Amino acid sequence: MVMLKTTRFGEITVADDRVIVFEQGLLGFAGITRYALLDPPEGAGPFAWLQAVEPGSLAFLVCDPAPFVPDYRVGVRPEDLASLRMGDVSEGLVRVIVTVPKPPAPVTVNLLGPLVLNLRERLGRQLVLSDSGYGTRHPLMPAAPTSAPAGDGGR
Amino acid sequence: MLVLTRQVDEAIMIGDAVEVTVVEVRGGKVRLGIRAPAAVAVHRKEVYLAIQHANQEAAQVGPEVLRRLPAILPRPAAPPPASRKE
Repeated sequence: MVMLKTTRFGEITVADDRVIVFEQGLLGFAGITRYALLDPPEGAGPFAWLQAVEPGSLAFLVCDPAPFVPDYRVGVRPEDLASLRMGDVSEGLVRVIVTVPKPPAPVTVNLLGPLVLNLRERLGRQLVLSDSGYGTRHPLMPAAPTSAPAGDGGR
Repeated sequence: MLVLTRQVDEAIMIGDAVEVTVVEVRGGKVRLGIRAPAAVAVHRKEVYLAIQHANQEAAQVGPEVLRRLPAILPRPAAPPPASRKE
């Protein structure tokens, strides 16, 4: 188990195999490579926390983009797939980082720089979807009703 | 800053592993080819800065933000069971 001293959630422990290594870090946080994807809080739907192992003050709210941007396309370069030890992006988990500004500004997600996680190998990477037309502030609108309840796809 | 003059098809090496080649010069634009190890991230600077800024802004979130999320959560088509005890 790894003990995390976080500023948001107090002291929490996560299993060693829940620690994901971002070898390059996230842009702007280059030296910080170990994160834990925390279980979504009750009622948080597709949202979860990506908590840095250290420092405990660093965490991102992340979100499964699928319910909100159904046609979201993440083109992963072969080099990125290789560094994640994946053959195809469908083997991994795509999460986007959520920004929550002060109301009434809308909650936005960063579609330009998604996170791709390989939970099996415990590797993650922030991609840069250059030339995709996606931006860093995509407003998160109420999603359309889903036909099946909570199709989260497990983990 | 080191300034070098290069022609089309000429390159510079940055360390042993990064090679930058001038592919084309036309109409005030320069096309560059970059060969770098997978561990070296190569991005257009404005894109890099945009994501860096977005990350830094996103990192300011506190746990209380979850209160704002119910409004944007996906709604299941079928309403949940109505009975709820307080």
